[in-house]
Order: sequence, then structure tokens, then C-alpha cells
Amino acid sequence: MSAVLEVSGLVKHFPIAGQRAVVQAVNGVSFSVARGETVSLVGESGSGKTTVGRCVLGLITPSGGTVHFHGAPIDKRHNIRSKTLRGRLQLVFQEPAESLDPRMRIGHTIAEPLRSLGVSQAERQQRVRETITRVGLRESTLEQYPAELSAGQQQRVGIARAIITEPELIVLDEPTSALDPTARAEIIDLLIRLQQELETAYLFISHDLSTVRYVSHRVAVMYLGMIVELGSAAEIFSHPRHPYSVGLLSSVLLPNPRLKRELTVDLKGEIPSPIDLPKGCFLAGRCPFADERCRAAMPPPDDVGGGHLVHCYHHREALRGREALDYFDQFQSEAEQVLGAGRR
Amino acid sequence: MRILRYVGKRLIFIVPQLFGIILVSFLLVKMIPGDPAVLMLGPFATEEQLAKLRAEMGIEGTVLDQFWIYLKNLVQGDLGTSWQTTQPVLLDLFQRFPATLELITISLFLALAIGIPLGVAAAYFKRSMVKKFSDYYGLLAGALPDFWLGLVLIFFFYTLLGWAPAPLGRLDIAIIPPTPHTNFLIIDSLIEGNWQALWSALGRLILPVVTLGLINAGPILKMTQSTMERMLESDFIRYADTCGLPRSVVIRRALRNSLPSIVTIVSVLYGFLIGGAVLVEIVFSWGGAGQYAVQGVLNADINPVLGFVLFSAIFSLVIYLIVDLIYFAIDPRIRS
Amino acid sequence: MHPEIAAATRDPAVLSARSDAILAIRGLSVSYPVYGTEAVRAIRELDLSIARGEILGLVGESGSGKTTLARAIMGLLARPGRIDAGSVTFDGRDLRAMPEDALRAIRGKDIAMVIPNPRGELDPLVTVGRQIATVARAHLDIARDKSDELALEMLKAVQIPDPKRRFNAYPHELSGGMAQRVVMAMSLVCSPKFIISDDATSGLDVTVQAQILDLLRNLVRSHQTAMMFITRDIGITAHFCDRVAVIYAGEIVELAPTVRFFENPMHPYSVMLLAAFAHNPRLREKWHKPLASQIRAGTTGCPYAPRCVHVEDQCRGTRPALLELEPGHFVRCLVPVVRPT
Repeated sequence: MSAVLEVSGLVKHFPIAGQRAVVQAVNGVSFSVARGETVSLVGESGSGKTTVGRCVLGLITPSGGTVHFHGAPIDKRHNIRSKTLRGRLQLVFQEPAESLDPRMRIGHTIAEPLRSLGVSQAERQQRVRETITRVGLRESTLEQYPAELSAGQQQRVGIARAIITEPELIVLDEPTSALDPTARAEIIDLLIRLQQELETAYLFISHDLSTVRYVSHRVAVMYLGMIVELGSAAEIFSHPRHPYSVGLLSSVLLPNPRLKRELTVDLKGEIPSPIDLPKGCFLAGRCPFADERCRAAMPPPDDVGGGHLVHCYHHREALRGREALDYFDQFQSEAEQVLGAGRR
Repeated sequence: MRILRYVGKRLIFIVPQLFGIILVSFLLVKMIPGDPAVLMLGPFATEEQLAKLRAEMGIEGTVLDQFWIYLKNLVQGDLGTSWQTTQPVLLDLFQRFPATLELITISLFLALAIGIPLGVAAAYFKRSMVKKFSDYYGLLAGALPDFWLGLVLIFFFYTLLGWAPAPLGRLDIAIIPPTPHTNFLIIDSLIEGNWQALWSALGRLILPVVTLGLINAGPILKMTQSTMERMLESDFIRYADTCGLPRSVVIRRALRNSLPSIVTIVSVLYGFLIGGAVLVEIVFSWGGAGQYAVQGVLNADINPVLGFVLFSAIFSLVIYLIVDLIYFAIDPRIRS
Repeated sequence: MHPEIAAATRDPAVLSARSDAILAIRGLSVSYPVYGTEAVRAIRELDLSIARGEILGLVGESGSGKTTLARAIMGLLARPGRIDAGSVTFDGRDLRAMPEDALRAIRGKDIAMVIPNPRGELDPLVTVGRQIATVARAHLDIARDKSDELALEMLKAVQIPDPKRRFNAYPHELSGGMAQRVVMAMSLVCSPKFIISDDATSGLDVTVQAQILDLLRNLVRSHQTAMMFITRDIGITAHFCDRVAVIYAGEIVELAPTVRFFENPMHPYSVMLLAAFAHNPRLREKWHKPLASQIRAGTTGCPYAPRCVHVEDQCRGTRPALLELEPGHFVRCLVPVVRPT
């Protein structure tokens, strides 16, 4: 199976006005996304996940490394805005309200990508009507303005605008972060259903781990512009090996008081500044396992099988002493028990 | 340290900025029709006489030639001569610029004293008489021409009531003026202890200052009010309320955060008024810089106009530098 | 009608101030007048009391009225909101009857509030140490050097690294997590008896959120401070709160001790919320009905009826009362969810 998206050795440094130093936003990121697959980039603010997304679409030019879309490079001339790739790559934003033109009717907004592809008026109308029902909105919505819709409905419109060209890859930048839980769950279901129907590849950028657990096939955990751990969602969530992944996952509070997080890895202190990164492993200053080796140089990736990569010398220690338990899975089954049993 | 570097950078840029301003205004002034040589020598002058005078005045050859001559003289501190006053322009401006500065500086202080408290009160008490009053005030100040207000004031306080001195210049002609050290009458008479002159000068200032102050309080009031309103709605002021800080602290914080906008509008007004006060200067026979420049324009007397532009430009650049320094002092986000 | 409901009695703990209550809200109604049409009701006849030292989680989606409730308690409703009825009793004193200046003396001293977007909550032109000290000096009648000392102590207490240096830092020089700690220091500096946290951790990264929550809980517990923890994230309440209250359209629809709430959620809305977090489409389909339009508070009948999968004819006509269906577990529903025991 050939990859839809192939990112290798991606580096992006942003210059700071009037200074020689740079913001090292992305520091050597490699991953691929296959047809019909969802790969999630998870990480906290400053992890560089959004910058990766923008490089993938060619919205900004990387400082190093390559991005290939179906084997062809994405660069200054071939990107989401160029004629060759227009409509084949799409983007869904975090803030639905801000990404829609408040003075444009929904129908017009959704049809816009088709207009730039030169699709005829009749076919546009046909496709717009198909798409709006596909994302679970009524046809009458086409005549409305963004302000008349709820946040969840607005995000459906954002998704409709992205899928109308039947793209091969959609970059979803925190598509559910601004939504209430119920709207969030609906949008996630919609995205999964659309992927099954259209076999679109998703690059899903999020800090919301419980959503990521549910939508992704594979997960890349990012910290300070590095993918510190990459593997299948089931593996990462049940056997996180990188101390940062462990700390991140144990910080998630699931709505079940009995699923108490255990603090095997307590991440102390603050994230270092991306302007002044430490020499060795970026986590060394916060990690309980760190030793001289970690502080000397960034650990190379270690393949622990099944395409599960970890950038850590001590991942076995981080794994040891913890029962292999996917809290998210357990939460699901307990939720099923409690909520499935209820009746009037 | 940072601030010194910043000021140094700004000062370096002042030279090219001034050059640009002089170039543009030179070209513009040259577009004003009228030959000063003809105006000076009258209709019966011969071609030879005219050519000779033009050469003396540096107004022969192409515009660029003339510009080059002007620049060379300028570097030596020679701004040319005004044929109307027959004095060097530099000397004229040293007399007249202080007259205008004295007037507009004091006027702006009055405008601030009216605008800021009113603006703050109108922003804080949203449904009060103060708010209504300041709304009308802003409207009126924006609509009334300043010279008209000056004439009305003269009519009431000089003609009818006789409380104010005659609108005839900066000093009573019967009083011996102080030796011009700075040409700011107040400062000069203070230096000499010439209380009579000081008293007269202050008296003469009242009406024009009130005129300009009342009118220019309008924009300051509006800016203060709108910025304060925005600040009072801001998260950190709401949080200050949530923390139960006393009203005075809350208002002080909001005002401090509004200061950059107020300083900006004041600096804009300041720069504008150097020439913008000209109608009021005429009404009060003030003999200020604006009046001087307008006379120059009307009589094809180029050197005073260029000199005025140059002086105003330097003044504005200094003002903007001071404004930047004030921003520096107020806002730590700019400092770092 | 269900036998449980028939047997249930209205509990005085909810309806009137309990003797150990630090805060008691009775019959509170808040509305926002809209020009030319009927006022929007944001809070409707709400009863709630919080005991000394208790952490109550208040869960609701956007527009449910949770922030309005917080601001109504503080007496700081955003214009043009107004309290139509009800009382707010704090430590035995009726807050609604107090003049503005007396309220100012209570705010920040006895009742403190922590808000999200911490950097926006701090004055950008004043150092953080000075801001904390100003709150202390406004309420505690102490000299300037004493208040500075206290502010520094608070910075230490919220575990800000290098507190001496941070004292003179400006808000823009702090990270989001650090600024949140400063806001916490400001709210705790007068040792308040009651803290309202309004979605205070929502903007933070999860690892930072975990640190902040640990810290907040330790500080609150060690001072015997009561707290109302408002959040959209029901997951936090499971691990952080003693009791959970769910607010929908300006009404408390369910209130229970935390463990009981998650073991046996009884209001269909609570169940639906939990199902949304479980990311389980089968469960959501069972409990969730997509909704066409926004529901406004104050409709006749149950406000949740249009979205409810359990809805019966009686729900549309009768407004359910908040009833105690098991000890300490209150539900506002005519047809609550039951589970086999």
C-alpha cells in the first residue's frame, strides 16, 4: 500500500525579528499516512504539531526535510493552493466560527472549493446538496448564514467544505477543541463515517487524548518538535513507553472516579523554551529516568516491534512496573456497563 | 541599555526622514504658480534685473538644481531669506515658532485637563448625565470651527464684557517686552522677573488657549472614553472587580492601560496644531508660525514655507520620539 | 409515576441553608432582558448549597448558565443581566441585600474567583507580585512591605519556580500554566472561605492541568476552603470533587455524591453527557436525540424534553421538581433512568 503522505526529516525553524536565535518549532519529524488511515499528532502547546500540519499542506516552507504527497513533493509551487493539488488536499480548522465567512451563505461557502476547480454551476449545486446531507445537515441550511448555526453545525459546514472536492488527505487541526462534549462526539462520529465512505486519509492534530484514542489508527506523540513515540493507537494507549507519553496519558482524567491515574512518571517543571533547547533529550530536565547519557545527546529511535518507535534509552524502565492496562479501554467497557444498562 | 539603542536607531533614521520630507515639500512648493522675482521687482522690471535677482535667490535652472542649492545652504544653517520680512527665515522662525508652541502647548494642557476626566467619568458612569454631557460635548467640539469659537469669545469677553484684553498679539504694545532669550514670552519674562510682561502675556493667552483647548478637548475626550470603555470591559479589569479591589484602584489601572491611546492622540494633535492653529492665530493676530507659512504660500515666498515645513517636521519627529519613550515607560511588553 | 418518586421527599438540605453551609442559594432566577422581546432566562429557580470545606463540581455545556450563576453569586452579572428572584446567603449573610461597597469588601477576601485565560486576567502593566500584594492590601489592612512579603509567600505556595524573580515579572513573561498559578495565588492570598473556579483549567495543557489541580486541591483542603468547580469537562469532576451537580438550561438537573453520580447517573441528560465522553456511538444513539434548535431556559415543562429519549407527554406540560431519589442523590426528572441493582 503506497502512502498518501510521506513526511521525512521535517525541520522548521522560525526566525525571531532582530535576533540571531530561532524558534525551533519542528526538529526532524518523519511519518506517513496511508489511504483511509488516520494518523494523529498529539502533544501540548509548543509541541510543533500545528506547524507540521501547515508544512504538510505547503502553507509554510520547511527549513529542512521533505513532504511527499503520492510520491510528488509538496513545496512552494505544489501545495494546497496550487492548481495541481487544489481540491486533493483540504484543511479543517479549530474555530468553526472564525473559518467561515459571516457574510456568505452556507451554500456559497461549501461550493467555494469547487468554483476554483472550474466545476459547472449545475454540477456545483448538485454536489453541494449531496454534501450537506452527507454531513448530517438539512438542505435548508444552505440558505443560512454561519451565525444562525450552533458551533457543532458550523463545524459540519467546515467539514462539508473540505470533503466536497473528495480530497485524498484532510488535515484536521484541533477540529473538536472548541466544541461542547456532545457536539464533539457527533463530529468525531461523522469524521469516522466519512472516512469509511470516502477512504480519505486524515492527519488529525489534537491535544485531546480521549478523542485521539477513539479516532486514530496510529498515533505520534510530539514533544518540542520531535515525535518521541509513534505506534498504533492501541499500542500507544495500552503500552506507552516514552516517559513523556506515560506522563501525558496519566494526566488525562476520565469520567470515572475509580479509574485513578497512577503517577509512574511525574513530569515536573516547565517545558523548555523552543528557542533554547537542551543539548540531549528534550525531556531530560523533567524526566525521572534521565541520566548522563540522556543529557549528552538525543536518543535515537528504537523500534520495539510492529512499527512502534520510541526515542528513549529508558523506555523499558518506563514500561516496567505498570500493568498493561488501557485506561481508555477500561473506561469504555465500564461506561458500557453503567450507561448501557439504564432504562426508564 | 535597550532604550539607548532604540533612541540611537531612531536618531539615525531622522536624517533620511528629514531629507525625504524636504525633497517632497520642495517639489510641492515649486508647483505653486507665481514668480517671486516678478512679485518683488514689480511689473516694470527688466529681464536682466529679474535674472539677476533669481540668481541671487537661487531660483534659476531646473528644480533639481534649485534643490541642490537649497540643500547646500541648509547644511550651513541658511534657510534663505523671506522677501516679505526681508529677514533670514531662520531668524523669523525662531521668533514665531515659540509663539505658536507656547499657545498650542498650553492649549493642549487645558484640553487634557478637560478631556481626560470627562472621558473617564463618561466611560465609568455609563448611564449618567456626565455621559450624556460628554456625548454632546464631543459632537459640538467636532462640529464647531475653532476660529468661530474664537470670534464668539472675543465678542463676549472683549467687546461686550471687556474682561479680556484686546485680541491684538501676544503682548500689550504699551509694555516693554522682555529680552528675547527663548522667545517664549512666559519663560523670558520669568527669567527677567518682568512681572508686568508676564501678566500681560498670560492675559493675552487666555482667550486663544480657551478656544483651542475647548475644541481639542473633543478628540481627547472621545479617545479617552472609548479606550476606557474597552478597558473597563476587559478581562483583567473584570478580574480586578472580582478580587474586590477598590474603585479607585480599578479606575487607575484602566486609565493606565488607556494611556498609550491618549498619548497617541495628543501627539497627533500636537503635530497638527503647529499649522492647524493658523486660523486662531489670525483671529488673535498672534504672529505665529502658521500665519508666517500661510503668508509665504500666498505671496510665493518659498523660503518661509520650506523653513516652516522643516521646523514642523523636526518638531513632529521629536514628539514621536518622546511618545515612543512614553510607551516604553508605560508598557513592559515593549520594553522586553 | 415511579414508586421512587412517590416515596421521595424534598430534602431540606437543598431547599434551605444547611447549618454547615458556607453558601446557600435559594430560588435564584436570572434573566437577560432583550430589547423588544421577552427576556432570556439564564437561571431558573435554582437551589444549591455548598458545605464548608466541600468541593462541588458544576458541570454544564456552553449556554447552560454556569458562568451566569458564578457571576450572580459574586454580584457581578454582565450587563444587562439581572437577578429576578431568590437569595444568595454566604456565611449567614444575605449577599443580595448588601450595598456594592460591602460586596467589594467580600469579593477577593471571603469569596475568590479563578477564571480561565489567566494571562488576560492580569493587568499587563503591573508586575505579578504587585498585583497579588494589591489584593492583600485592599482587604487585609496591612503595610506595603507586609503585603509584598505575603505575595511572595503565596508565589511559593503555588510552587512557582524562582518566586523572588517572578515577583517582579510582568504577565507577558509567564507561560499559561505559570499565569494560572499567579491567578490562584491572587485568589488565595486572603485565605477565602469560598472559591469559585470558572473553567479555570480549560485552556491548559493536560500535564499542566494535572499539576494545577493537585496544587489547588492541596491548598483548598489544607485551608478548609469550600469550592465550586465549574467545568465543561465531566472527567475532572470525577477525580476532583466531592459532589457533582449537572446544570442544563439554567436548572440543576442532577446532584449527587461523586462516586454515586458516576455509578448511577439518573437524569437522561447526565447519561447522555457521559456517553459523549465514552465515544461510544451505540450508547450515544441510545441516549441522544439530535436537536434542531437551541433551547431557552424557562420553557413550560422540562427543558430537556425536546432532546430527551425518554420523553413522555407529561414532561412537556409539567416542570419536574428536584427530588431526592436516594440519599443525597437529587434528580429533576419525571422518568429518571433506573438500573438493575
